[in-house]
Amino acid sequence: MLKPILLVEDNPRDLELTLLALERSQLANEVIVLRDGADALDYLLRRNAYANRDDGNPAVLLLDLKLPKVDGLEVLKAVRATAELRSIPTVMLTSSREEPDLLRAYELGVNAYVVKPVEFKEFVAAISDLGVFWAVLNEPPPGSLRLNRRGSN
Amino acid sequence: MTTADNALAAAVERCAQEPIQIPGSIQPHGFLLVLDECDLRVLQASENVERWLGVPARELIGCTFADVVSESFDLRTQLERLPVEEAFPFHIGDVRLRQGAPFAGALRLLTHRHDQVLIAEFEPLRPLADMADLGDYYPLVRGFVGSLHNADSLEELLQQCVLQIKRVTGFGRVKAYRFDAEGNGQVLAELADAGYPHYLGLCFPASDIPRQARDLYRVNRIRVIEDANYQASPLLPATNPRTGKPLDMSFAALRSVSPVHLQYMRNMGTLASMSLSIVVDGQLWGLISCHHAQPRTVELRTRTACELLASVLSLQIESRESHARTRQLLDLRQHIVRMISSMADHDSVSDGLRDLPEVLLAFANASGAAVISAERCDLIGQTPPAAQVTALVHWLTRRGDETVFHSDNLQRDIDELPELAAHAGGVLAVAISQIHSHYLLWFRPEQVRTVNWAGRPDKEIGPQGTLNPRHSFEHWQEKVSGYCEPWDPLVIEGVVELRTAVLGIVLRKAEELAQLANELRRSNKELEAFSYSVSHDLRAPLRHIAGYSELLGEIEGHGLSERGRRFLQHIEEAASFAGSLVDNLLNFSQMGRSALRLSDVDLNALVDSIRQELAPDYQGREIVWDIARLPKVIADPAFINMALHNLIANAIKYTRGREPARITIRARQHQGETELYIRDNGVGFDMAYANKLFGVFQRLHRMEDFEGTGIGLASVRRIIERHDGRVWAEGQVDQGASFHFTLPRHPATT
Repeated sequence: MLKPILLVEDNPRDLELTLLALERSQLANEVIVLRDGADALDYLLRRNAYANRDDGNPAVLLLDLKLPKVDGLEVLKAVRATAELRSIPTVMLTSSREEPDLLRAYELGVNAYVVKPVEFKEFVAAISDLGVFWAVLNEPPPGSLRLNRRGSN
Repeated sequence: MTTADNALAAAVERCAQEPIQIPGSIQPHGFLLVLDECDLRVLQASENVERWLGVPARELIGCTFADVVSESFDLRTQLERLPVEEAFPFHIGDVRLRQGAPFAGALRLLTHRHDQVLIAEFEPLRPLADMADLGDYYPLVRGFVGSLHNADSLEELLQQCVLQIKRVTGFGRVKAYRFDAEGNGQVLAELADAGYPHYLGLCFPASDIPRQARDLYRVNRIRVIEDANYQASPLLPATNPRTGKPLDMSFAALRSVSPVHLQYMRNMGTLASMSLSIVVDGQLWGLISCHHAQPRTVELRTRTACELLASVLSLQIESRESHARTRQLLDLRQHIVRMISSMADHDSVSDGLRDLPEVLLAFANASGAAVISAERCDLIGQTPPAAQVTALVHWLTRRGDETVFHSDNLQRDIDELPELAAHAGGVLAVAISQIHSHYLLWFRPEQVRTVNWAGRPDKEIGPQGTLNPRHSFEHWQEKVSGYCEPWDPLVIEGVVELRTAVLGIVLRKAEELAQLANELRRSNKELEAFSYSVSHDLRAPLRHIAGYSELLGEIEGHGLSERGRRFLQHIEEAASFAGSLVDNLLNFSQMGRSALRLSDVDLNALVDSIRQELAPDYQGREIVWDIARLPKVIADPAFINMALHNLIANAIKYTRGREPARITIRARQHQGETELYIRDNGVGFDMAYANKLFGVFQRLHRMEDFEGTGIGLASVRRIIERHDGRVWAEGQVDQGASFHFTLPRHPATT
C-alpha cells in the first residue's frame, strides 16, 4: 500500500486547485488534508485528535508556508528536529518569492520549494512533478543562481 | 629696512633706555628732602636747599625734619593723613622754614612714600594765574562736568577740556591729542593765543615720546616744566642709602627731565609746559599738553584742578568708549543672530549666509565677502576674482595654524599673492573647518589716506648715535597707501563667535541628517514588508482567477458561446499579465535592497546566452546582429544579466516588422568607465519623452502594439545606478533607438 500524501493548506481555493492538480497528475496515493500547522504537528506526532491514527509517515509532506497557528517553517523545523520524522520528503508550497523565506526553508532542510505559479497549467505540471520532486519549478538555494555560473564561465 | 631706518630705530631704542625716573636731580623752583620715616632724619637733600635754608645740603644729612622747619609744624601728626595706598605727592600742609632761614615765605609741603623712603618736596606759595577766580575751582569743575554732558562728539569733549584748562592755567597754547595703535599722536582739540603755531589735525610721531616716558605718563598723570632753561639741582648724596641706588623719582613733582626733552621744548619755541595724561582702561589714551613761550609757574591748586579735570575727562572718554563698544557688540550680536536663524532655515550653512548678503557685509563692516565650501566659492560685493580668492584660501589652508587671520594690508602681509592688492586692502578670514577647506572671508578696500605730520617724523641722529630732538615742526604731508581700515578687535571676536555658532548649526544639521537616514531605513523596512505582502497576498487571488477560469473553460467550454470562450480567454490573460506585473515589481524592489556581488563579467558570453534565451521570441524573424568584441567589466553578474536581458529583449520587441531588424551592441572606453550601447532600427521614440523612458510604469507605446509592464527600463536604470554608472537613451521616431549605460572601471569596493 502506498503511503499517503500529507497536504497542509489553509486557503480553501488553493486547496481545491491543489487537489485538482494532484488528481490530474494521476498519483495513486491517498491525500490527507490538514488545515493548519498545529493539526499537522498533531498528525505527524500522533497526538491529541490523531493519537490513534495508523502507523507510518506520509510519502511526502506538502506544506504551505503561511499557515494559521503554527506556520510552515515551524512545522518543517519540528519535522527535522524529530528523529522519526526527519526523513519525510518535504516540499514548501507558497505564493512568496521573498528571499528570506527561501533561505530560511533551505536552512531548515526543505527538499524542494515550489512557488505556486499563476497559470493553472504550470501549477498542474509542478504538482505532477512532485513524484520526482527535484522538479522543473523548484527554486535553487539563493546565492547559487544559474546566472552566476554562466557569468563566470 | 634701510640702514637709515636701522640707525633711527637704534637711536630711538637708546632714547627709550634713558633712565628718566632716576635723573638724580630736580627742577630748582623748589627743593627736596629725602627722609627716614621712622626718625624723620634727612637722608638726601637737593643741593639748592642752601639757597632756601642757608645750610649746605651735605650738612643737613642726619638732621631731623624739626631742625628744618619752624616749631609750629608737626610732621609726625600730619603724616597720619598721608594716604597709604597712593604714591602721589600729597599736600600735607604749608610750612615756614626755621628762624633765620634766607627764605621767610610760606612753602607748600608735598610728601609721598616711595623707594623705601619719605620724599618731601617744598615749593613756594605763589600767586595764582589771573583767570583762576581767587583759587576757588569748584564752580569751574562744576561747569566743566556740566558741559561734558552736552558734548556731542569726542572732539567737542576735548575742546571743552582744553578751553577750561587754558582758562585755569593761562598757558599760551593747550592741545589735546590721542594716540593711535602705533603711538602717533593726532591733535584733536587746540586753543592757542596769537603768535603760537597751530597744530590742530596734525600728527606727532610716536618717536617724540619714548617708551619709558609713556610708561611714566601712565602712572604719574601730571608733569610740569616751569622753565626749560633751568639749571638742574642734584641730590646729595647721589644714592638713596636705603636701596644703595639713585632715588626713584617717578612720582616726584620736581623731578628733572631729560635734556633731550628740554632741547625739544626749546626747538619748539616753548619754555614752559604741563602735560596731563588721559588714561582710559589703564592705557595711555592721549595727552593734554600745555605750552607757554615764556617760563611759567603753575601753582599747586591750579595743578590739582587740572588733574581733576583730566580725570573727569578720562572717565568720560572711558564711559563713551565702553558705551560705543556695547553698542557695537549689540550690533554684532544682532547680525550673528540673523545669520544663525537664516542658516538654520536653509539646507546648508552657505545657502543661509548667501541669503543675507547685506548682513554678512555689515557684520564685519566690509565691502566684500566670500563663502567658501568644499564645492563652491560664493562672492558677495566687492571682492577679488574667484581664482584669486581660491588662491587665498589655499594660502590660508597651507598656513593652517590659526582659525582667524586678519590683515589690514594684504600687500605687506601676503607676499605670495601680490595680485590681491589690486582688489582689496585687507582681509579677515575665519576657517569654519580647515579639513574641509570651509572658510568665511571679508574684504575691505584699500584706503589711501593723508597723514598731516607736525614736521617730518624722522629725527636726526647725533654723532654718538644718540637722538637729536627734531627742529622742524613744519607741516609735512605723507600719503599712506596699501592699508584698509583696521579690523576692530570686537569684530575679530565676533567672527570667532560666528564660527562657533556655524559649527553648532553644522552639527545640528548632521544630527538631522542622521535622523532622516533612520526614518528612511524604517520606511524602507515598511516597504519591504509591503512588497512581501503584495507578493504573497496579491498572487493568491490572481492564481485563483487564472486557475478557475481555465478549469471553467476546460469543463464547461463546449457549452459556452464563442464570445463567452473569448471572454474567458481574456480573463486568463489578464490574470496572467497581472501575475507577471507583480513578479516584475517584486524583482524591481529587490534590486534596490540586495547587496551587489561584484565579479569579472564577460559581456560577450552574457550577450550570447541572452540571445539564446530569447530565441523563441524572434523565431522566424530576420535579425542582423552586429556584436563587437566586448570588454570584461566588474559588476554583479545576475544584475547585469537582467539589465542586458531587458535591453536586448526591448531591441527585439521594438524592431518587430523591420526586414531585416538590425541590432548593434558595442562598447566604448572612457576615462574611468566603460560604456555599452545597444542600437536598433526599430520604432524609436520621440526625444521629448526621453526623460520618461526610465520611470516605473512609463510606456510610450500602446499595449496592443508592444506588450510590456513598463518596469524593464526602470529596472535597468536601478541596476546601473546601483553600480554607480549612468544610463541614457537616444532615438528618433521610426529611426531606431540606442540605449547606453556606463560602468565604472574601478568600482568602489563598498
